[in-house]
Amino acid sequence: MVESQFWSLLSEPFMQRALLGGMLTGALGGVLGSFAVLRQLSFFSDALGHSSLLGITLGILLGVNPTLVLIPFAVLFALLVSQLVERSALPTDALLNIVYSSSLAVAILVLSRVKTYRGGIQQLLFGDILGISPLDIVVIAAFLVASVIYLGLSMRAQVLLTLNQDLAGAMGVRTRWHGLAFVILLAVVVAISIKAVGVLLISAFVVIPACAGRLLSRSFPVYVMISSAIGGGCALLGLLFSGLTNLPSGPSVVMVQFLGFLLAMLLSSSIHLNTRPS
Amino acid sequence: MKEAVLQVHELSVERRGRLAVEGVSFSLPAESDTALVGPNGAGKSTLVAALLGLLPHASGRVELLGQPLAANGCLPRSVRAQIAYVPQNLVVQGLIPLSVAEFVGYGFDLPGPSLPWKSGKQRTAAVMRALDRTQTCDLRKRLLTELSGGQLKRVLLAFCLVRPRRLLVLDEAQAGLDVHSNEQFQQQLLDLRRQEGWTVLQVSHDLEMVRRSSDQVLCLNRSLRCSGTPQATLSEERLGELYGLNMVPQPHG
Repeated sequence: MVESQFWSLLSEPFMQRALLGGMLTGALGGVLGSFAVLRQLSFFSDALGHSSLLGITLGILLGVNPTLVLIPFAVLFALLVSQLVERSALPTDALLNIVYSSSLAVAILVLSRVKTYRGGIQQLLFGDILGISPLDIVVIAAFLVASVIYLGLSMRAQVLLTLNQDLAGAMGVRTRWHGLAFVILLAVVVAISIKAVGVLLISAFVVIPACAGRLLSRSFPVYVMISSAIGGGCALLGLLFSGLTNLPSGPSVVMVQFLGFLLAMLLSSSIHLNTRPS
Repeated sequence: MKEAVLQVHELSVERRGRLAVEGVSFSLPAESDTALVGPNGAGKSTLVAALLGLLPHASGRVELLGQPLAANGCLPRSVRAQIAYVPQNLVVQGLIPLSVAEFVGYGFDLPGPSLPWKSGKQRTAAVMRALDRTQTCDLRKRLLTELSGGQLKRVLLAFCLVRPRRLLVLDEAQAGLDVHSNEQFQQQLLDLRRQEGWTVLQVSHDLEMVRRSSDQVLCLNRSLRCSGTPQATLSEERLGELYGLNMVPQPHG
């Protein structure tokens, strides 16, 4: 019974698109997340996700496709916020909190006035991966390839920058340029994933696979690869689970990511026990 | 007189809107060991950051290996590759999963984009040689975050050693080391400096060590107060002027 349900689900084109799109989004979140978590940008990605609602609202008000507005909005927002964080004496997490709660508040106030969009808020908050279009998949795949090429070619710069900014600068890394390029990439990825994952859960895609990957790695390239595999794998399992049980897709994926994280914790503590010198 | 590896002329550097270093001029002869001393807040770290191009300089001129350092910190790749920097605290990010061998390997690579698998064999051989010469071969699979202070300094020496360098800049290398580990580190640095022909500039608070191992001392308190041999610069009178009366750091023991 469950088996036939499973195969008929897999034969649906919308499900195939959702699985492929989810896997690519998960892998992309894992790759960028592995750097973002170590550079203490995980809360930044969370704030970016929440503030994206304001970008979507702007799109609705202007009558333009929200996805088209969202990418430039997210990039501009990320650059402004990183400048603010750099120049302000206030703690970064407090500043990010101010920025994201106020932009979220403005977005919800405006959305509640736009009659045609009242029913859609839940979809924006939690995403709708089943509604992902072939074009969305192409865009996500293109960014995954672009991210892998950029991070792969500049691996030395990225690792040294993550380890120690002064050392990186002294060894010829253009620290400011690479710092900004990474923030822009993160903003674009958050923007293109919002439709599938939702405003509230996007940061889980960035943070959870990377943290699980960190627990299981003793080398930087391995860490990035494991994080992206966990991201893609959890999205696949979560979506299959959601399809079979008819539960919401975004939260199902995040639950699987969380279980993956718990498993990584168990594995890492048992590995640690095995290798501890006697 | 040997050629100068670093030449600084009337250098001024601003930090947070005020001049932190003003009108500093000096040069480092090839294969010399120079100590930069001065009280806290004297601008030592600012000066080092400006010399490495990490901070822009407001005025003056810096030449590294005969090439001018642009005011915004740009320096040709070929010159960058011959300079190594040893920061006070290497591991700022305590969670990074980076093994000793990987880290030393990044010291071998040149700045700029490159394919991750490029020059693989050459790189591995250079890393193994550097680890061997600093007696850190057995640490190669350990994470940087798992090392003791003394081990981390030896790994940093391997990072400097993995490619031929001309200039090493060390910012308070003795920070976080006990007296014994510091002695060991300084001895290893001295041996490698002689073998490799390194020119060394180190920020130091350990005046006893400076007296024993440095060829030249630069006394900084925003501007250069005095410079010369340790005997000439580290007299009680001169130190009193530099650090303020009764504030002179006492030797160990």
